[in-house]
Amino acid sequence: MIQLFRVSKYFGAKAALKEVSVRIRKGEFVFVTGPSGAGKTTLLRLMFGAEQPTEGQILINGINLSRVGRSKLDFLRRKIGFVFQDFKLLHRRTVLQNVALASEVTGEKWTTTRKKTHQLLRAVGLAAKEQAYPLELSGGEQQRVAIARAMINDPLILLADEPTGNLDPEITRDIMILFRSINLRGTTVVIATHNKELLRNTDQRIVFLQNGVIHE
Amino acid sequence: MGKLRLWLYYFKHAFSSILGNRLIYLISTGTISISLLLFGTFVLISANFSNWVQSWEKSLSLSVYLENGMDDQQKEEVEKAIQRLPGAQIKEFISKDRAMRDLAETLGSQAGFVEGLSKNPLPASYEVVFRNGDLSREELKQIKASLEKVEGVEEVQYSEQWLEQVEGFVHITRILGLVVGGLLCVAVLFIVTNTIKLAIYSRRDEIEIYKLVGATDWFVKTPFLIEGAIQGILGAGVALSVLYMAYSLFTVRTIQLFGLPVMDVIFLNTWQHALIVFLGLVLGLLGSFVAIGRFFRF
Repeated sequence: MIQLFRVSKYFGAKAALKEVSVRIRKGEFVFVTGPSGAGKTTLLRLMFGAEQPTEGQILINGINLSRVGRSKLDFLRRKIGFVFQDFKLLHRRTVLQNVALASEVTGEKWTTTRKKTHQLLRAVGLAAKEQAYPLELSGGEQQRVAIARAMINDPLILLADEPTGNLDPEITRDIMILFRSINLRGTTVVIATHNKELLRNTDQRIVFLQNGVIHE
Repeated sequence: MGKLRLWLYYFKHAFSSILGNRLIYLISTGTISISLLLFGTFVLISANFSNWVQSWEKSLSLSVYLENGMDDQQKEEVEKAIQRLPGAQIKEFISKDRAMRDLAETLGSQAGFVEGLSKNPLPASYEVVFRNGDLSREELKQIKASLEKVEGVEEVQYSEQWLEQVEGFVHITRILGLVVGGLLCVAVLFIVTNTIKLAIYSRRDEIEIYKLVGATDWFVKTPFLIEGAIQGILGAGVALSVLYMAYSLFTVRTIQLFGLPVMDVIFLNTWQHALIVFLGLVLGLLGSFVAIGRFFRF
């Protein structure tokens, strides 16, 4: 599903990742961890095509990201959900509009989009807050809106960058349960986190990054 | 998404963005209005100057002086020769006696000087005007030469030196107009692009989110371009309204010098209105296009 071959990424003279090779199979649940500045966010952004590697190749579902054009990348992104630590919600749009956005860009009919949005918001426990604005919600609720948006196009892969970074332990647990249920439906989930609590007692695969190098 | 549905979506989002970001759009539309007002004023001044030159050229007349002692048949021949010239019209015939009376009137208290003459030395003349009124100096020279060949014509006169100066002035003004107009267009585009850039900058997160969820570039750009076009047209509308109000308040529509009407002040014609609206549209579209290009690096 996700394959990285000797991928390096430099920002100026500084190496964020050095010759990273990793393979994540379809339906896997993987944690990417490491200290701040280890290269976790860069790794996820490379998998998403938001950054191009300085060296090496990245294959997503058999498609080489280095060789794919901009427009193809847009279509590929519709099959990759991304959840951010800062949620990245549009504050002037309602919860419903924020989730529907990811479906609207694919050209989906509004009736279908509306139905899917409603189902997803019910699944994340926010059906009653469809018409609320993001700033009227708690951090945990905003993150659930972001997860619903990432899931609306039935993605093959769900990438989450510190999805519980701003949340308290109880809400963190709820969000992780949501990710597990998404994974059980067959979606490959990759979560970047430096939260040691999340990794304790987990039976999921953990990829450890330090100074841009992988230690599994 | 069907094409019509897609365009409805674009327009809906463009209008809701404008309403949602009223203050920013008010500022950028105001900037476009001020810039186009500046440009419109320039066009208005040019139009009035051009109108003045044209009306002056239309008022240009030739004096065809006749030899003494011509009979009616000879005069008729001269008249025919004048009427054969394209656009020429005989404004009036000034007889020898009338020429003398006019001179005496002009001299006023000094009229006694001519009244004492035993013989009227002034020739009779035809005053000729041209309907199309757009004759070059070279054409006038040719007309003068051809009329002077007609039997009974003593001399043909027009204010050659003055015409030469006016033509030179018109030529310089046209070049100056093109340079100033061109520079003004570039300056306006620069101002508008930067203002729209600021408006879009405040919405860069929105662009980023659209790109992150897999929107194509055109899906994101089109509503911004529509917003730019709306701003441009609105800006042009405001500029034209302000210009018209200023023109209406300018009550003296005929500028006078020494009590004589020098020029009529006119407003922009339909084509000039269309030019400013079109310029507004192009500025809004181009400004948005250039400004938004910066934000597509995701």
